[in-house]
Amino acid sequence: MSSSYPQNETPEKGAGIFSSEVREATSALTSIEQQIKAYKTIDFATVPALFLLFGGVSVFLFALTVGDWDFWMDWRDRRWWPLVTPFSLILLPAVLGVFMWNMFRLPIGATFAVASFLVASWISRVMNFQNFAGFPLNFVSPSTWIGLGVLIDIVLLLSKSWFAAGFIGAFLFGLLSYTINWPIFAPYRLPVEYNDTMVSVADLMGYMYIRTAIPEYVRIIEESTLRTFGEAVTPLTAVFAGFVTILHYYLWVWVGHKVVRSGWIRKVI
Amino acid sequence: MWKLKTKSLLCLMASLFVFCLSDLALAHGERAQQAGLRTRTIQWFDTEVFPRDAKINDIVTVKGKFIPSKWWPKHMAQPDGLEGAAYLNVGVPGPVFVRVDSRVNGVPMIRSTTFEKGREYEYEIKLKARRPGKYHVHPVISIRDAGPIIGPAYWVEVTGDPANFENKIETLTGQIIDLETWGMNNTIFWHSFWFLVFLAWVGYWFRKLPVLMPRYKKVMVLGDDADQIIEFKDMIVGGVFFVFILTSIGGSYLWAQNEYPITIPLQTGEVEVIPLPERPVIADVKVNKARYRIPGRSFKLDLTVTNHGESPIQVGAFYIGGIRFMNPKIIGGTVKEEKGDLIAPDGLTVDTPAIPPGETRDIVVFADDALWETYRLTSLVYDPDSRFAGLLMFYDEEGNRYIKEIGGGMVPVFT
Repeated sequence: MSSSYPQNETPEKGAGIFSSEVREATSALTSIEQQIKAYKTIDFATVPALFLLFGGVSVFLFALTVGDWDFWMDWRDRRWWPLVTPFSLILLPAVLGVFMWNMFRLPIGATFAVASFLVASWISRVMNFQNFAGFPLNFVSPSTWIGLGVLIDIVLLLSKSWFAAGFIGAFLFGLLSYTINWPIFAPYRLPVEYNDTMVSVADLMGYMYIRTAIPEYVRIIEESTLRTFGEAVTPLTAVFAGFVTILHYYLWVWVGHKVVRSGWIRKVI
Repeated sequence: MWKLKTKSLLCLMASLFVFCLSDLALAHGERAQQAGLRTRTIQWFDTEVFPRDAKINDIVTVKGKFIPSKWWPKHMAQPDGLEGAAYLNVGVPGPVFVRVDSRVNGVPMIRSTTFEKGREYEYEIKLKARRPGKYHVHPVISIRDAGPIIGPAYWVEVTGDPANFENKIETLTGQIIDLETWGMNNTIFWHSFWFLVFLAWVGYWFRKLPVLMPRYKKVMVLGDDADQIIEFKDMIVGGVFFVFILTSIGGSYLWAQNEYPITIPLQTGEVEVIPLPERPVIADVKVNKARYRIPGRSFKLDLTVTNHGESPIQVGAFYIGGIRFMNPKIIGGTVKEEKGDLIAPDGLTVDTPAIPPGETRDIVVFADDALWETYRLTSLVYDPDSRFAGLLMFYDEEGNRYIKEIGGGMVPVFT
């Protein structure tokens, strides 16, 4: 692997990392090669650590704010799931996006946040829901968000604007959450006749795989107005989800800027 | 220092000793439910669970009857009315069984419903054994905003290899699918696809190491001009990814629409269950006084009973909070007691002979047993309204049973 570090350039005295202050702080490194090696070590240590940290935080946050809506296949309806899930999930991509962009000009924060969330989610679903509680994995597998996270990062990269990242990227994040997950959900929406009642495969799984603490009536699905729009409820919900995700994204971008400006985080780096 | 070690060792040994003394917690904590909740919500009776030994894929049936109490606490959510919602559930430790059928009065209970207070319902749940183990199987009725009301339980032992379990159904589109694995490969494929996109995108930015520190220093040096770090090539790659991702999302959606052209939204709603026909009132009962004597674990009922039937009747049993107090003079020898069963086989005493037809008589009934304490029904005295309810079972000379729910105020006797 080649290095992007400027090895052939003559360092200008008193500037950048070769300033006297930095020289004093990194006096243990006596050559460029040593410094490159140290910086690579920082990459190897920081990236997995951030991945683990954000994975753990996001799964915990998600369990508190979205919970059953994304735990079970028979909760992911057309009205609430596409609204609640991106609205809640946008928080960490916004904060990590600001951190990665402002500190490193790396447009990977949102992607990184949703990918770490998904890896942690898979671990949780396999260990907790399948191995410990005994549910079949197909009933509790996570939904996917990576493509939407990359879209936010790309809009930020192309526009270099938080306004555009929110207005276009976050809007797409909310708007397309149902669409990107439809290939995963569709097999569970096949109709089944069961005891003279038509249900979907997901409904039937929710009935069969017993959850003593989740009676049928607690599912908050398909509850809302918008009945006058007939079958168009999904796109309408998606557009609304896009708008609220924009607002939530801006809020957490603002929080992210506050956090990144703080002195302590600069000292850490 | 040695004193500290000795203390730690003693603490450890004491903890181990306590662990050895404690029994396994395998049931559902039904004793922990508030006494008023157990006595005045769902009156369970005739509960059966069979067979008690099952192999993987065998069907286990849970059946019985219940009456939503007329004395349902006013401070709790109700099982009826416009806001009420109830659901027949089963208390087992997770999906160790799959529920293949459940009915109340013959109506399939895949959805929620409402239950009328004071009326009788008959339920039946069929479970298919999925995981080996020994399980305490309860019927449960969940009430919206009130929680689960747990019925009596029996132990069922499941043996066999869980790998042999299968759960196949046929969809309305004619496909036979196994719910244990259906859609899993598809899910893994799409997650893998998007994870590869993640690796490609992040891999592009980390293709040359080190990345973080050099970029950080450049950003710090450039300040407001830090956007200069972004190269034209980065923009091109970003644009390509943008188009690729939008195309992939649209393409995968169209693929799913083509692969599964007939789909339906998630289903919800309520079904109506008509109660069983009302039985003719044979025994009319008025509760004059109810006293619970705490030191003796003795419940004394002063009743006025009128026999409207054509045969003499006598109190044969009193059911309260899932405990069955039996009058051995009436149904002695017919009660099969099991370990852990909530039965007091000779716990009911009646101070009078059978009541002839047409007669009204004051009688005193005692329900005495340590089960009051063991199953924490003594905590009735801590309820906010100090009331009780239970089922009196009258029997005539031919052994016919007449059920009458009674209830009212209860006064504790502390000495």
